[in-house]
This record gives sequence, C-alpha cells and structure tokens, in this order.
Amino acid sequence: MGKRQMDLLQGTLDMLVLKALIWGPRHGYEVMRWVRQVSEGGLQIEEGALYPSLHRIQARGWVEAEWGVSETGRQAKFYTLTAEGRKQFEEETASWKRYVDTVARVLEAEA
Amino acid sequence: MEGKPGFRRVRRFASGGSDLRREVDDEIASHLEHTARELMASGMDPREAEEEARRRFGPVEHSREACLAIDRRRYRARRRWEALHDLVQDLGFAVRTFRRSPVFVAGAILTLALGIGANTAVFSVVHGVLLKPLPFPEPERLVALWESNPDRDWTAADVAPANVLDWREQNRVFTDVTALLTLRSQLALTGSGEPQAVDAIFVCGNFFSVLGVPPLLGRWLRPEETWDDTERVVVLSHGFWRRSFGGDPKILGRDLRINARTYRVVGVMPPGFSYPLADLDVWIPMGWSKENRTQPYFRRAHYLFSVARLKPGVSLEQARADLRSIADRLEEQYPETNTHMGAGLTPLHEWVVGETRRPLLILLGAVGLVLLIACANVANLQLARATVRAREMALRSALGAGRGRLLRQLLTESLLLALLGGAAGVLLGAQGTRALLALAPGDIPRAAEIGLHPAVLLFSLAATVLTGLLFGLAPALRSVGAEAGEALRESRGASGQRGNRMRGSLMVAEVALAVVLAVGAALLAQSFLRLRQVDPGFRTENVLTAGLSLPGASYPETRAVGVLAGRLLERVETLPQVRSAAVTTALPLSGLSWTSDFTVEGWPAGREGTEFHRRAVSPGYFRTLGVPLLQGRVFTAADGAEAPPVVVINESLARRYFDGEDPVGRRVRFSPDDPDGEWATIVGVVGDEKLEGLAAENRVEILQPFAQAPEHQLKLAVRTDGDPATLLPALRAALKDLDRDLPFLDVAPLDDLVAEATARERFLALLMATFAGIALALAAVGVFALISYAVTQRTREIGIRMALGAAERQVLRLVIGRAMALVLVGVGLGAAGALAFSRVLQSLLFGVSAADPATFVLVAAALALLAFSSTYVPARRAAQVDPAVALRKE
Repeated sequence: MGKRQMDLLQGTLDMLVLKALIWGPRHGYEVMRWVRQVSEGGLQIEEGALYPSLHRIQARGWVEAEWGVSETGRQAKFYTLTAEGRKQFEEETASWKRYVDTVARVLEAEA
Repeated sequence: MEGKPGFRRVRRFASGGSDLRREVDDEIASHLEHTARELMASGMDPREAEEEARRRFGPVEHSREACLAIDRRRYRARRRWEALHDLVQDLGFAVRTFRRSPVFVAGAILTLALGIGANTAVFSVVHGVLLKPLPFPEPERLVALWESNPDRDWTAADVAPANVLDWREQNRVFTDVTALLTLRSQLALTGSGEPQAVDAIFVCGNFFSVLGVPPLLGRWLRPEETWDDTERVVVLSHGFWRRSFGGDPKILGRDLRINARTYRVVGVMPPGFSYPLADLDVWIPMGWSKENRTQPYFRRAHYLFSVARLKPGVSLEQARADLRSIADRLEEQYPETNTHMGAGLTPLHEWVVGETRRPLLILLGAVGLVLLIACANVANLQLARATVRAREMALRSALGAGRGRLLRQLLTESLLLALLGGAAGVLLGAQGTRALLALAPGDIPRAAEIGLHPAVLLFSLAATVLTGLLFGLAPALRSVGAEAGEALRESRGASGQRGNRMRGSLMVAEVALAVVLAVGAALLAQSFLRLRQVDPGFRTENVLTAGLSLPGASYPETRAVGVLAGRLLERVETLPQVRSAAVTTALPLSGLSWTSDFTVEGWPAGREGTEFHRRAVSPGYFRTLGVPLLQGRVFTAADGAEAPPVVVINESLARRYFDGEDPVGRRVRFSPDDPDGEWATIVGVVGDEKLEGLAAENRVEILQPFAQAPEHQLKLAVRTDGDPATLLPALRAALKDLDRDLPFLDVAPLDDLVAEATARERFLALLMATFAGIALALAAVGVFALISYAVTQRTREIGIRMALGAAERQVLRLVIGRAMALVLVGVGLGAAGALAFSRVLQSLLFGVSAADPATFVLVAAALALLAFSSTYVPARRAAQVDPAVALRKE
C-alpha cells in the first residue's frame, strides 16, 4: 500500500455511506466493499463502525431498510436511499466541497 | 458495483423488543458470512476465513450495542407517533359520532356535570378545611393544650392563666407555649367620628412567635408585653389596616384609642392571617398585672385557649407525658384549685377541624353516591347505544380493526365525554362552592381558605377520568366482546341476554343508591325540624339584641356599669315601639355564661352544687324574653346595689337540689369554701332557658339582679311592637346621650340568634336534600330511559301479543311488572345500604333514630312511586301500539 490510510470522522462516514447507496439498494457488506474499491484502499472503513452509521441514517429517515437475498443467495439487509436522503447527500457534498476548497486556499496561500 | 438482482421481502420488519436484537445479530452475521465467502473464494480455508472475517469486523459486541441503541430510540419514537396518530383518529371519530347523537351527548354531559360539579364543590370545602395544612410554618408541630377534670365533666376545657404560665416555664417538650382568649371581644375604637366596633382577640405576648407567621409591617408582639408594666401596643390585621386606614404605610407608631385606652400600632399581619377567628381586626396583649400570678382566681378561672409548638423531634406522646407530670405537680401544689385537674393536648389541625370533620366526610360520601348514580345513568345510555352500534362495531371489526383498537376507540369516546362533563362540572362546581359557603354556618372553620385550589382541580380531573372508565369500560367490553358475525346477523330483535342483565343491574344500583341518599336526607331533615321545634324557654319574636362593652378605663367601678345600664333602660323603655327592655350578662343559646359552685344554707358541711350557670339580669329580663315565673317573684327595681342580695333559680336547679322542698326563702352562697361569703336569698323560680344550644341538656342556673352583679360586657334586649330592626337609630340616640364613645356591638334580632343555633343542622339537611334531589331526578330519568328503550326493543313482541288478543291492561302489567320487580330489588338493597349509612349519621341526628322505621317506609314508598311513574309513560305508549304497525316493523 503506497498511500497512507486515513481515519474517518463519524459525519464523513455517513456521507460516504449515502454516496454508496446513490445508485440503488445495497446491503452493508456491499457498501463496505464499494468504499474500499473506490478509494483504492486509501480509506479504511472500520467494519464494525459501518453498521451504527447505517442504522443512524435510517433513524434520520435518509434510508429505508428491507431484508432481501443478496446476489450470492444469502439473506442480507438492503438499504435504499430515500428522497430526503438524496437531498441530504447533495447538501453535504456541496458543503464538504466548500470546506475543502476553503481549507486548501488557506493552506496554499502565500504570505 | 453492477445492477442488483431483484430482492423480495422475506419477512416483516422487526416490531420491537427482542426482535430488534435478533435483527441486528442477523445483519452482522450476514456481513461476516459475506466476508468469509469472499475470502474463501480467494483460496482461504473455511475456518481461517471465518476468523479473518471476525478480525476485520472488530468487536462485534460494540457494534451491536451501538446499533441497538439507535434502533430502540427509533422504535420508541415510532410507537409514540403511532399512539398519537391513533388518538387523533379516535378523537375525530368520537366527535363525528357525537355529532350524530346530540341528545345523548347533551344528556350525558349534563348528568356528569351535575355529578362532578357537586363533588368538586364539596371536595373544595373538604380540602380547605380538612386536608390543607394550617397556614403556619411547620404546622404539624403546633398543638392545642387543654385541661380536663372528671369532677366537673370537663374534657378539653379552657385553661386557667396561672396553669398555662407554669406549663410554659416548666415544660421540656415545647419551644414555647402561648395562650389567648377563647372569645372575640368587641371593643370601641374612638377618636375619629362615630365610635367604631373592632373585633379584638386578647393574646399573650408570644402568640405570634409560636405561630411563626411573619408580620407584613413592623413587628410581632413581644413576650414581655403580656403584662401591664409595658407600653400598650396592638397588631392590626391586613383587612382592618386596609379598611380603616386605607393601607397607610406609615401606620406604625400611630396611637389608637381603643376602649378609652391608648395603644400604639407596632405591626400589621399579612393578608390571609386571621387566627383564631375569621375577620379579626386587632390582636391586643392580655395586659395582666403581675400581681395576678399569686391570686387563687388566676388558677380558678378557666377562660384561655392555649397553643404550643413542639420542639423538633418530640412526639405527641412525650409531650403528653411531660404535660401530665406538670399537671400532677400543680395538683399537689395547689389542691384548692387543681384537684383532679388534668392536662392534655391535641394536634392543632385536628382541634381546628373538630366537629366539622364528620359532617363534611358524610357530605363527601353523599356526593360520591350522586356521582355513582350519574355513572350508572351514562353507562346505561352507552349500553343502549352500544346495541344500536353493534353493527358498526362488527363492520369495523370485519374490516380489520383489532379488539384492542375498538376497545380503545370506545374508551376514547367515554373519556372525551367524561372530560366534557368534567369541564362543565368544574364550572358548576365553582358556583357550587360559592353557594356552599354562602349557606354554610358561620362557625365553619377556615372558610377563607376554601377555593378551587390546584389540588381540588386535580381531584376533579381524577374523578372525571375514573368516571369515564367506570361508565365506559363495561359497555365497551360488551360491544367489543360480541362476536362479529353474530352481531352482523342479528339485525334487530333480541339484543342479547347479557346486555339486558347489565342494564337491569345498573337500574337496581341506581335505585338503591338513590334510596340511601333519600333516607339520609329525610333523617337529617327530620332532625332539623325537630330541633326547630325545641322550646328554647323564651319567646324569640320581635326582640332586638345588642352588645355593649364598657371600657374599664371609663368605668373603673362595676357599680358605674350598673348605673349606666339602669339609665339606658329607663330611656329605652320610654321609646314608643318598645314594650319592655332588659340587660343581661349573657344571652341564652350563646353558651357564654360562667359556671361555678354554690352551697345552700342548711346543707351539711361539704355538700356543694357544682357547675351551675350564673348570669345577672335586670328586672325586665323575664318579661322581655318571655321567661315564665313558676314560683315566688322576679327581681324588682328595689333589688338594687345596696339592697339585700337576692337570686332567682331555674326549674332544673330547683328540681335537682330542692327535690320537693320549697326553695323560695332559702339562701345560697357562691363560694362554698369562703365562710365569709355573702348569703343571697332565693326569691323565685323561673323556667329553664336553653343556654348552650337547642340540642343540649337543660342546665342548672342561678340568676342575680344586674344591679347587684354588673359586668362590663353586657347585652341589651328590647321587645318591640313590629319589626325590631327599625328601632336601632332610636337606641343609638339614647346611648349617645349617655356615652358618646360607646358603640352597639353585634346587633341582631333574637330570631337570628336562634336560627344560628340550628345553622349547622339546616346546612346539612339542605345539602343532603339537594344531593338526594339530584339523585332522585337522575334515577327517575335513568329508569324512564331504560324502560323506554326496553319497550322499543320489544315493540314486535308486544304487537304479536296484542294481535293475539292481549288487552291493553295486560300489556301494561307485563311491562310495568318486570320493571317494578327490578325497582323493588333496588329499593330493598338501598334500604339495607341506608341502614348501614345512617349509623354513621346517628351522632348528627337529634330526636330521630337512624333506623327510624317510618322514614324508611316512607322513602321506600316514595321511591317506588317515583319509579312507577317513570315506567308508566313508556309502558302506556307500548300498550297503545297498533299491532299492525308493530308487526310491520322488522
């Protein structure tokens, strides 16, 4: 692994999970696998922390959950983004970008 | 990630409790399984893969608990929301249902409002008088101290000053002991225009510090101010300060002229403080001379009420024991005055509440019964409606509403109904409380503290909810319990035996409760009427009475009092409407005459008459009050201050002590122990007057001429032609000529004083009659509604009977017969209940037995008659049904 792994803050994890669900229903294991794939191993999701995150965004009404059968034929709980969850994701993405831009500008400023 | 395969629902979402935990476990297990599968796919052996999956997941327990905490919160929030949603739905449904049957709703609300209103009103009094703590700091530490003496039949009697002072100094259980006069003194406030009567209570200097209520302005009286060697000071009540001085903030230090003496104002008490009597104006220190302490009469005269504050942690028993040991010592030390003189204490709250406890609790019980009848009535209405609504319920049940859901719906309706009735009831109760206080006898303790306090409203709310459950639960259970299919099939006709039985028992209960109340009311009413018929021993009509309190400062000699009284009577008797006039040291029925002991000339040494009542009256007294002379003569103008002492005795005394002998001419002496005491000759015997209330036994009494035994506090009685009240201006003018600073106090026709003597009985009888009236009306309406309903249910049956040739009379007999059978069961049960209830009443009854057979028979007959007339109208309607119409009705 060439890159350093970064720890995730709770709010950031919620945002990534929402993103993982933006194309359709997924169960927890898939969410984790997707994040690992897309970040090329740069983001280490602690597997144990993933589930509280899923339940938390469910309690907030951003996702709905339903039991189903995964592609490997096993039972799994699938999470689906709600309209509210989609809106939340867009807002958080925008504010995250603003934040990153601002911090970057400050760090790169000269004198 | 590529597209998902379609997923299907495999089970319902978890519904809570252990389900939540299982679901989280399943989810984590699923994750571990997926991880392991993938690891196995890349060649790891199964056991290793499983271990690696666990390792990657981290502490399962931690993750699971975090998920569970979140899920549980979410689950609870959802349940709350659902419950609220259901409630709103049920309420909406209830309102729609109510709109469809406005008559039922109005009837139910009115019934409940009467029941809850009456309960609210009575409970507000019970709360203010019995339940609320006394308005003093740490009131549970306050006790009333009293003396007792078996030789004189004294229990909880007034206390002698010297004894109180010894208790105060010798006890080890009280922080302090104080004493006050048991009666209000009306004194004359002069110095600004017309002399004004003020209501004063004489107290020891430590009175306020024992009670502990801080003054609004200035300071309390001080302990040393009990005695006359300090400056004369006075503390004002808030009401008096506002009324007479416009709430002047600079009142402190001002001098007031009261009974010809000057008192400096040192304090004003806060609003609401008026102890020991309502509407007091001022508290004045005793002003005793310290020389009194060694005088025998300071230990002989019992005229004080004593209050003490227990030291923290001292029990009533410890305090009693300490007080007893002091009393024992005093008995040894002062055998002359303290032989057999015991001492005891009662918690002050209990003392204040005193005799009002039982009547109030009885009234509370009575209104409770009224509420039960109201409940039964509404339950009956609900039941009748439930039958009508059976189809609706069955339909909803068939459409998937669970029993619990339907039950909740019905209970919501009942509770909504109860709350509407309760709200109307509280409004009614507020009026009721006012009416109650207006009717209540003047001596009801703590009247000023009665009102719709939060505790009272809480009681009303509790009564309301309980009522709603009571009248709602049985009908609701019944409606929901009926099998859906059965209810859908049975469209009309027989409505189920169970419903009929329940309605029948409700009617029996209503009638029974009404009988209990009616018997109670009848007994109390009779008791009141008997009391009114008691001969007080004097004639009450057309007599005006007024008090006079002659200041000791202006009339230092009692002889001067006699002179003033004589002159006043001379003037009053010349007024045109006046037939006769008199003065007396105390009016009958007031319970205010002194008692002491006497001996008769010729009795063996040691024989004494004890506890005779002693009053002094002017010669015209017997004529003015119409007291009959039985033997000898009454006083004349010749029996003056200088003339040989004479007395008149009453019939009871003559009978008890001169059995068969002629008392006239014999001589009595008032202080049996005093060999130098003066002998007074008995010149006549007069009829007994009721001295301490109409229900009390006749007392033995000795009367002296006022001129020979005048007192500073006296009563004027004037018999007039016509309305005595019109005489007052002329009386005032006559008095003003003699002493311009003297006001008349407590002016009242004698009739009013007699009415006051029966005020408590009147109040109780009136209230019970009101409650019984409501109960009877409710029960009659209940019976009427029930029979009407039953008749409607049986229209078809009646039609068939008539078609088959039954006569109108037979139908009447059929309908009325069944109803009356139930009524009679109710009357019987009620009579039994009344017998139990009236035993509680016994101590409040006068001249009538609690088991008076005539009363029971009469009430039972009246109830049966009332019920009969309630059944007759619907029965008659049933009998006039046209068979053809009845049969066409499905």
